[in-house]
Amino acid sequence: MELLKLLSANELVAQIVSFLILLFILKRFAWKPVLKVLDERKNKIESEFKEIDEIKGEAERMKSEYETKLSAIERIAKEKIEEGVKEGRRMADVIKQGAVKDAERMIADAKDVIKDETQKAHDILKEDIVDLTISAAEKVIGEKVTDKHDRKAIEEFLDMLEKKKNGW
Amino acid sequence: MAEAHVATNPELPNLVTILEKTFEGTSFAHFLKAWENIIFSLIIIFMITVVAYFVSKKNSMVPGRFQCAWEMFVGGVDDFVCGIMGPAGRQFVPFIGTLFIYILFMNLSGLIPLFKSPTSNWSITLALALCVFVYVQFTGFRRLGFLGYIDHLAEKPRGILAFSVIIPILMFFLHVISELVRPLSLSLRLRSNIWGDDTLLAVLAGFGLGGVPLLLFNTFLVIIAGIVQTLVFCLLTTIYFTLIVTGEEH
Repeated sequence: MELLKLLSANELVAQIVSFLILLFILKRFAWKPVLKVLDERKNKIESEFKEIDEIKGEAERMKSEYETKLSAIERIAKEKIEEGVKEGRRMADVIKQGAVKDAERMIADAKDVIKDETQKAHDILKEDIVDLTISAAEKVIGEKVTDKHDRKAIEEFLDMLEKKKNGW
Repeated sequence: MAEAHVATNPELPNLVTILEKTFEGTSFAHFLKAWENIIFSLIIIFMITVVAYFVSKKNSMVPGRFQCAWEMFVGGVDDFVCGIMGPAGRQFVPFIGTLFIYILFMNLSGLIPLFKSPTSNWSITLALALCVFVYVQFTGFRRLGFLGYIDHLAEKPRGILAFSVIIPILMFFLHVISELVRPLSLSLRLRSNIWGDDTLLAVLAGFGLGGVPLLLFNTFLVIIAGIVQTLVFCLLTTIYFTLIVTGEEH
């Protein structure tokens, strides 16, 4: 009962009303807006972290994809280079063989030409010798050698000489 | 009797008592005497309201210095309550947070010269404890319904206990008494601690030790006691809510 004398009904009621007013004011203007902002910020941070994780995952996926593609491209490029080298070697062989054939053909042609030219020179020389011999014979015997008959004889003689020269 | 009580207990002079003495004998002095604690609590309410209004006026996603401090406080209370009660505690955060800031300011206001701790008065602390009591019972009643609430008070008798009748009835009365005692224990604990601190402040105000006023040492005690008592009041309130909310879940 002594304890009850410490109480004042007026103060009790006034304090309850004051507290309820403070509660209403703070709830309306401080707690709810601040808790809302805290929740919004928390959700925003969470969603951003989630987004970052997703982007990270996507980046990882793209990286592995690019690495796979890159290795495939490198493999293809290597194959292409090897093919190119092979093709180059094959072409070089073809060109080389062609060149050898051409050279051989050209040498053969040149030989033929030389042979022809030698034959021609030989024939001309022979003609000249015949003519020289005839003119020498004419000067020795003092009369004109008939061209047709004597020429033939001289030519046969020269042929014989030639044959002898060649070891006949 | 109350007057005799005030007269026998040392008390530091405050704004109201000074005005009371100035206008001694007038109705204004009687008014001041009757509403002394309420005047100080209203001043504290006004201060908290102004601070809270200006701090939370511009709630932006990128907080300023004051908003940051206020958010730290709000977040701290939210973590404190939800840490004990789980997500269901969110709805009680404004109530418990308001109690916390209000009691803390009232406890520490005794340190301000010409001020007084309104919580050194039982009427003030009992009013707050009654608010807690009513809100807790209301929450229980709303969540459990009438029969569920009675069942909760009878400690949920099941099986053979339910048929024994006498045990549930005993438990019911025991529970009712324990519920009724809660506001008394809550309010008296807070009031007595703060009243003791304030009395000690008043007693030691005139003493010193080697030229150093003893009040200086006692100030730390008052600060610690003020914070601890606020925490105890709010912790017990949270536990009361937890018991009534988790009672529904079990």
